[in-house]
Amino acid sequence: MQNKYFVSRFYKGWQIFIENPLGKTGVIILSVFMIMAIASFFVPLIDPMYDPMTGIDPDIKLSTGPGLTHWLGTDNVGRDILAQLLEGAKVAFIVGLSSAFFSIVIGTLIGMIAGYTGGIIDAILMRFADIIMVLPSLVILLILASLFGQFNIWIIVFIIAILRWPAVSRVIRSQTLSLKHRPFIEASRVAGASHVRIVLRHIMPNVLPLAFLYMTFRVTSAILVEAALSFLGFGDPSQVSWGMMLQWVWKSGHMFQAPYWLIPPGLCISLLTLAFYMLGRAMDEVLDPRLRKEGQTG
Amino acid sequence: MEKADSKSRILVEMKQVTKAYASRKKLFTRSSPQVLALNSIDLSIAKGEVFGLVGQSGSGKTTTGRLLVKLESPTAGEIFFNKTPISQLKGPGLKTYRSRVQMIFQDPYQSLNPHLSIAETVLEPLIVQKIGTPDTRTEKVVHTLDTVGLSPGEAFFNRYPHQLSGGQRQRVAIARAIVLEPQFIVADEPTSMLDATIAIQLFQLLEQIKETFGMTFLFITHNLAAARYMCDRIAVIHDGHIVEVNTADNIIRHPEHPYTKQLIKVQPGFKYTR
Amino acid sequence: MSLLSVDHLSIGYQTKNGMLKAVDNIHFDLEKGQSLGFVGESGCGKTTIGMALMGLLPENAVILDGHIRFQGDDLISLTETQWQTVRGAKIAMIFQAAMNALNPVMPVDEQIKEAIITHQPDISKTDLADRMKELFDLVDIPARRMKDYPHEYSGGMKQRAIIAMALACDPALIIADEPTTALDVIVQDQILREIKKVQEATRTGLVFISHDIAVVASVCERICVMYAGQIVETGTRKEVFKSPRHPYTRTLLNSYLSLDNLNDIRVPDMKESPDQTVDTDECRFAGSCAYARGCAGRSPDWIDISPTHKAFCCNPDVIRRGHGKS
Ligand SMILES: Nc1ncnc2c1ncn2[C@@H]1O[C@H](COP(=O)(O)OP(=O)(O)OP(=O)(O)O)[C@@H](O)[C@H]1O
Ligand SMILES: Nc1ncnc2c1ncn2[C@@H]1O[C@H](COP(=O)(O)OP(=O)(O)O)[C@@H](O)[C@H]1O
Ligand code: SF4
Ligand SMILES: [Mg+2]
Ligand SMILES: [Mg+2]
Repeated sequence: MQNKYFVSRFYKGWQIFIENPLGKTGVIILSVFMIMAIASFFVPLIDPMYDPMTGIDPDIKLSTGPGLTHWLGTDNVGRDILAQLLEGAKVAFIVGLSSAFFSIVIGTLIGMIAGYTGGIIDAILMRFADIIMVLPSLVILLILASLFGQFNIWIIVFIIAILRWPAVSRVIRSQTLSLKHRPFIEASRVAGASHVRIVLRHIMPNVLPLAFLYMTFRVTSAILVEAALSFLGFGDPSQVSWGMMLQWVWKSGHMFQAPYWLIPPGLCISLLTLAFYMLGRAMDEVLDPRLRKEGQTG
Repeated sequence: MEKADSKSRILVEMKQVTKAYASRKKLFTRSSPQVLALNSIDLSIAKGEVFGLVGQSGSGKTTTGRLLVKLESPTAGEIFFNKTPISQLKGPGLKTYRSRVQMIFQDPYQSLNPHLSIAETVLEPLIVQKIGTPDTRTEKVVHTLDTVGLSPGEAFFNRYPHQLSGGQRQRVAIARAIVLEPQFIVADEPTSMLDATIAIQLFQLLEQIKETFGMTFLFITHNLAAARYMCDRIAVIHDGHIVEVNTADNIIRHPEHPYTKQLIKVQPGFKYTR
Repeated sequence: MSLLSVDHLSIGYQTKNGMLKAVDNIHFDLEKGQSLGFVGESGCGKTTIGMALMGLLPENAVILDGHIRFQGDDLISLTETQWQTVRGAKIAMIFQAAMNALNPVMPVDEQIKEAIITHQPDISKTDLADRMKELFDLVDIPARRMKDYPHEYSGGMKQRAIIAMALACDPALIIADEPTTALDVIVQDQILREIKKVQEATRTGLVFISHDIAVVASVCERICVMYAGQIVETGTRKEVFKSPRHPYTRTLLNSYLSLDNLNDIRVPDMKESPDQTVDTDECRFAGSCAYARGCAGRSPDWIDISPTHKAFCCNPDVIRRGHGKS
């Protein structure tokens, strides 16, 4: 029953969304990256030399520019740059979406609990959130990395999530506060519903749209943090990513010799984060009826 | 004898009930002043009675209702339901109380969860109170929707609040309140947001429900005419004090307290034309 | 020349489901010093008329047809800059829940002064002070409370201040849209008296909008009853309330609870209000009308009962058949 409602709501929201120039551009750019990420699964199947990590072209020992067998050229050990770029798209999606997802889950839960219970629990949770919020995540990650060495990609995802939930929880908390005394919540209390039921059944569906909005912004920041970390040499060395590619350009001293190697990953990072940002802005408009043009109903 | 008899029929009783809210602290003032929403009020409602509570806004009507359904606790005094003090209720006792006492809220646009379908909204009390099996519950919901005039009930099952008019929403809220067949319902200005033609149909529905189920009502309103139409007895509340209680007819025809007289004088009517 | 004359006015809103005709072929006149009330259920188009008279229709509204003439000028053709010299100066409006429209960080008298200075930039200090005193006198706010901030006022006083602000430039026409709906009965009574008193004293034209017939009856001399975008009955207050003719007006009056009509309340069997995106010439009330016989396929027409009283219906029998209770 609920699904049908969400489907129709989603469909209406989608229509408004896609009419929005920002949303449209975002979706187009994102689709391109999506195709790249999917392609990354197939490229190594063509020829093992196109494996982004281990595929070394036996004929090439140096970084070479674009050519027929390597459309974007190769790196200094003869690996295909295009293949790495595709792999990077996949990794960016994994890192961005999963860490955004975890931070949204944590932030939403904590925000709902703080807003709903109020009092001392609220105060403690929110102070805690404030403390984490002012921590500079990149610096923290760098400190941790220098203490424990290079991280596995999933640990990076996890740490970004842990550092990025407070802003979400603040928003969700204030939304919860405004919902808490709405008559439909009180009606449920009068019927004898437990607190857990009220939070899950009545408050959660009403804050989820907002949580998803925040998710798109979180994706952007997670991708940037991961790229920066990799570039600075603290990324997962067994995993190709755009940041890692930049790191390799830098470390192998090709920064100024091989623009064909330097520019693609840099461009991709900017474009993908921009796409998610545009998506978020467009979604803002879908969710906030005040920003909507009259006559559109969502 | 007579007296003892009428006492035994009392369902709800408020004794010396006071409710103070700490009003928001003003900047620069040290003590936080209190708002006395209710000032030591006494009230008793008999089984099967429709009891009206009338007063201007801010007089304490909603507060009384919220105390009775235990959304709030009194600062002083005690409320009795079937002679049991309700402040003592906890755990299973409280849950049973919640199934016996329900509330209908003022604003039909705020009192339904926009994300729940009509069926889910009316089902919720049954699920929460663990009454029946999924099949009997569904049957019960259809039946209740029919009772409140949303028929055929199945046709409204999968609709959402935003697809209903204000009057229909209030009917759903009534269905949610009666689906547990409570003994006592607090109706807080159930029609003040609705047009006259819709309001009168809802009044008729409430009357019909009262006849069929023998429920007791606390009917809160600022409209004396509506109170007189619906209620057996009416209490007039002013600034947290009950200033007068009497049968509906007597309150209108022979008001005693000056405030009641003023309230009657300002009721909109066709005095300018007739 | 009438103060205000509205001629075959139709206003639509562009919606996803097509053009919604919120105001459908509306016709009325208002003379100086007169008051005209609009009553009807929520969504029948009252606010839309008020907004059209103020040139404040939302972006997706379209004036489909008709004219609005105010002191001889056609308001529909005004540009936004021209509107600014009319709005607030010649036509003023009191909104629903208008007390929230006061600026909380500015004393009330400053806000009203500002309203005056906007339209009369070269008014002298003494004239301004005189005018302020006059205005506060008119709405019965003691002069010593003039310099208070809005939060120091009660709800009723704020609404009075709003009335004073509407009167500030001595407008020829005031539009009041549900000015008391957010207030309780006691304050409502005071404000209604205030509006009536002020209107009579200043001889301003008044268009008064409410969903509550008793409220309209207490303020206006002439009444228009609206249903689904159309005026279905119009007449003097006495005519409409003592001898309602249109089936909808009868339903409305029969179901209105007041202290003196408890015994002859009739519960109507009202259906959903009609879908106004569907264009039709047939009677919009037919779905809920107890007299609908042979009305399908016909278009209603105006039927005169007296020179001032008429109703919009297909059945002259129903309309002419005397006294109101159905
Ligand atoms: N901005 C808008 N966009 C689309 N439709 C609108 C808009 N404003 C009003 N309507 C529609 O126009 C019709 C008339 O609306 P209006 O607000 O004038 O009614 P009203 O009589 O003032 O009702 P209420 O008492 O609820 O304020 C309604 O069907 C309403 O849904
Ligand atoms: N949660 C609250 N916090 C502070 N004051 C409140 C609260 N609820 C009600 N009040 C105050 O209590 C008084 C009675 O309010 P209420 O019972 O809501 O009145 P009514 O329902 O008659 O309009 C008012 O003065 C109101 O401002
Ligand atoms: S035209 Fe027919 S349906 Fe419409 S009001 Fe008149 S009698 Fe009723
Ligand atoms: Mg109230
Ligand atoms: Mg309106």
